[in-house]
Amino acid sequence: MLSRTADHLYWLARYLERAETVARMLEAEQQLAMLPRPAESAERSRRATLMALGAHEFYDTRAPGATGDVLDFLAFDREYPDSIVSCISRARENARAVRGSIASEVWETINATWLEMRTFERRKGAERSRNLFEFVRQRSHMIRGVHVVAMLRDEAYHFLRIGSFLERADGTLRLLDARSSSTAADQGAIDPHEWTVLLRTLSAFEAYRKLFRGAVTPQRVAEMFILRPDVPRSLRRCMVEVRDNLHAVVSSTSAETERRAGALQAALEFGRAEELLPPLLPAYLTDKIEQLTLIGDGIARDFLVSEAVA
Amino acid sequence: MKGAWDEMIGADGRARAHCREYSDWLLAQGMDRLEAKSAEADALFHRFGITFAVYGQAEGTERLIPFDVVPRVLPQEEWLLLEAGLKQRVGALNAFIADVYDAQDILRAGVIPAEQVLCNSQYRPEVQGVAVPQRIYAHIAGVDVIRAADGRFLVLEDNLRVPSGVSYMLENRRMMMRLFPELFVRCQVAPVEHYPEVLLANLCSVAPRGVDHPTVVLMTPGAYNSAYFEHAFLAQQMGIELVEGQDMFVRDDILYMRTTRGPQRVDVIYRRVDDDFLDPLTFRADSTLGCPGLMAAYRAGNVTIANAVGTGIADDKSIYPYVPEMIRFYLGQEPLIDNVPTRVLRRPDDLAYTLAHLEELVVKEVHGAGGYGMLIGPMASKDEIAAFRARIIADPARYIAQPTLALSTCPTLVNAGLAPRHIDLRPFVLSGKDTTIVPGGLTRVALREGSLVVNSSQGGGTKDTWVLEQGAPERLDA
Amino acid sequence: MLLHVRHETVYSYAEAVRYTIQALRLTPRREARQRVVSWSIQAPGRRIEQVDAHGNMVHYLTVESPHRELRLLVNGVVETDETDGQPNSDALQLSPLAYRTASSLTATDAALAAFAADAFAGSDDLRLRLLRGAQAVAAAVAWRPGSMQASDTAISAFQHREGLCQDQAHVFIACCRALGLSARYVSGYLYAGAEGSVASHAWAEVWLDSLGHWYGVDITHARPVAGQHCRLAVGRDYLDAAPVRGMRRGGGQERMQVTVLVSNSPQQ
Repeated sequence: MLSRTADHLYWLARYLERAETVARMLEAEQQLAMLPRPAESAERSRRATLMALGAHEFYDTRAPGATGDVLDFLAFDREYPDSIVSCISRARENARAVRGSIASEVWETINATWLEMRTFERRKGAERSRNLFEFVRQRSHMIRGVHVVAMLRDEAYHFLRIGSFLERADGTLRLLDARSSSTAADQGAIDPHEWTVLLRTLSAFEAYRKLFRGAVTPQRVAEMFILRPDVPRSLRRCMVEVRDNLHAVVSSTSAETERRAGALQAALEFGRAEELLPPLLPAYLTDKIEQLTLIGDGIARDFLVSEAVA
Repeated sequence: MKGAWDEMIGADGRARAHCREYSDWLLAQGMDRLEAKSAEADALFHRFGITFAVYGQAEGTERLIPFDVVPRVLPQEEWLLLEAGLKQRVGALNAFIADVYDAQDILRAGVIPAEQVLCNSQYRPEVQGVAVPQRIYAHIAGVDVIRAADGRFLVLEDNLRVPSGVSYMLENRRMMMRLFPELFVRCQVAPVEHYPEVLLANLCSVAPRGVDHPTVVLMTPGAYNSAYFEHAFLAQQMGIELVEGQDMFVRDDILYMRTTRGPQRVDVIYRRVDDDFLDPLTFRADSTLGCPGLMAAYRAGNVTIANAVGTGIADDKSIYPYVPEMIRFYLGQEPLIDNVPTRVLRRPDDLAYTLAHLEELVVKEVHGAGGYGMLIGPMASKDEIAAFRARIIADPARYIAQPTLALSTCPTLVNAGLAPRHIDLRPFVLSGKDTTIVPGGLTRVALREGSLVVNSSQGGGTKDTWVLEQGAPERLDA
Repeated sequence: MLLHVRHETVYSYAEAVRYTIQALRLTPRREARQRVVSWSIQAPGRRIEQVDAHGNMVHYLTVESPHRELRLLVNGVVETDETDGQPNSDALQLSPLAYRTASSLTATDAALAAFAADAFAGSDDLRLRLLRGAQAVAAAVAWRPGSMQASDTAISAFQHREGLCQDQAHVFIACCRALGLSARYVSGYLYAGAEGSVASHAWAEVWLDSLGHWYGVDITHARPVAGQHCRLAVGRDYLDAAPVRGMRRGGGQERMQVTVLVSNSPQQ
């Protein structure tokens, strides 16, 4: 497959997944806003979401005094490259560039999503984001479903999967990061509701109930989303998928990237829940996000960037 | 326009024999149903993304080429004539291009003045003396055919560089089958969907010598090109890579594409990039769309470029008047389909006649495309005619003139219901080891009442083109 | 005469270049009136030889390992005959008509066309008119070596009133074509005496229809081409005949340094 095609597929998958992550984060934010809690705590939580997405600096240039509507910004700001609307646009641009390499139903579903995003954009005020997050989540499920059933298990498929799982792993870590740093800022006064909301926005509340008895604790939530191999959004699960798909496309230059991915997966396999205690968690998350970035860079170097020589 | 031939309705006001089946069906449809189907088609084209981006406008302004739900229907025997005539014509054009870049017999024989060819900006000295497989240059030709008031077909223009529009032939058919499945049960419409297969086989047949299983790619200028949809569509339908210049490189006169598993050799390029942009080491140095060194690989015979470099010399409007002569010179035959009678304004008497009759003629610039550098006398204002007259006098050799032809009409769904609109036809002729034409083509329709300009850039739309497998013989009602 | 040539070109880049491809027209044309005694091109990477449509010898060079510098060194000896402007009866590959249409670099505007009509007038002998024209071009576009970049087009060189020999050749060719003559660009070397400051040079050739051969005019010196000229390449303009035409991936800022020495005896 052309390196450029692989590049577009990889980023197509990443942007779709990123749109979903942002939607899930904002959904959590929206639900938290309905909980009875002090204004500072709500503000901190919004800030934490921005920080976790790496969006705070851009947001501050956008809305001096940080009183702007974070939700609207992260959902609709076309100039912010990782807003939902931008992610979907970028996903669609990448899809358009390789529409010959993806099943036409995949393209049509992405294109239709992009067209419908504009009807949300045209709405006014609070109406704008009504049902948006659900819409993005459902479309994301749909696109995933279409490509799983309609696409040949060839390189195109594997690069889509690599992009999806790498981004999902990253998104899961960032969601945890937002909650754990917002909790830490509340001087350790853990609000179990926050973590329940997180579970719900990750479609994992029911799974948690099956896995653990008793109250929702940050440590268990972290354990679930980092170490459990059977939780579909967990870091460990995502890394298994990344490795399998990476293995399917290995080239003569990709040994180092494979090693990194393998090392991370092994660390997760033999990891212990004690590493995830609330005081340790933020640093742990930062470290893992960095490792994911390195793996992403490696994939770009080995497969995607157009080099003259193999 | 008065006196135009209507494709569906005969002089007696009744449907022509081959159209009767369709026309009965059409008249039984309510306007509401046709309009609903038309709206459905638009929505589907948007969803499939069969659109082109419009530059300089806000994001999301992607336009559709308007699609009309009423097809143009051709009976089989007319198609057979067209098919034979087009194969003959394209055969002669290919022989001409091969001759120009080789022995130049036709120039030596004085059939076409040498300077008309060799001083033409479309002549590419870079490929003089380069042998190409099968001596085929125009592997894909889109020939624009019109039907005059007397019902005869005439060739208006040959498109031999990077002709586009075939995806609309295929998508329009797909759309019609989706909207009106019942029609295809009633009418025996020849299928066109195998075009990509035929095209791929054709491209494989012109691979460099000794290559048994050629790697064929489609080269596009990229996702921002207005015909990008077509490039992606054809590449997908043929199952070949859609490459940009940056995806390829040259080493030792061999062309490679960069893949996730390292370089892979490329044997045949179906290119949708103009000559000028193909190779910045040979043509425009500022081209970012090309692949540097491509022409070295080409000259060395290691890659086939389709269409070949330099085909523009045969579809230039200044060369067009000589095509009937080419058919006689190379094939020893009389043309089966005529040219539109054309005056060449570098000839003094043609110039004098044209200047005296500007208000009735169509005057075209010889190196123009897309219908911009053109005067349509009967539609033009006095000022426009005066301005054009000055341009002609300043440089007559740049222009040709033709009578204003009453392009045939076909019923078309417009705001006021069904009304006749002018149309043309672009069949696609594939030349390689064999010459093939898929029965059909792109029918373009001028949507504005009375307009003769069918170009999509000037408000034209498209229709599905039906060739009937067993059409009832057409009765020419006197 | 014997011309000893040493021509070094060094490109240096701010960042590593991942891929370079260059078309080198750095080998004397194989012609009856100039014979290569010895010739070598030293360059990194891989190289393959081809003859282009104009009959020029081209080497396509590719370098695929990352590099910050690229050095081309040409060394050779050529023996030339006295020519009085008449170059060679080289196998006519291209019709002279192919050199009659203005290219993008040799287009004319009204001012340049008027200049051509005036400067090339006045004699029955086309050769005399051409030499007169060359004189006028050399006066209108003053030769300023070294200090400046070449203009892109004949029109802009004519407007700037000064330029390199390449610009003078373009203006001259543009004038000839505007007058309906076939004219072509020549790139090569010139031996300009021990103190001569021109070495890498460009001039033009015009087709003499009545005689059936090309006639070489050194515009910079307003005289017919002679035995001091060594012809590397011809074409419709600089782009067809450039000694080096290249593209690369990566590299960022580029610096290029060229040194050319042409002498009539072996040297250090």
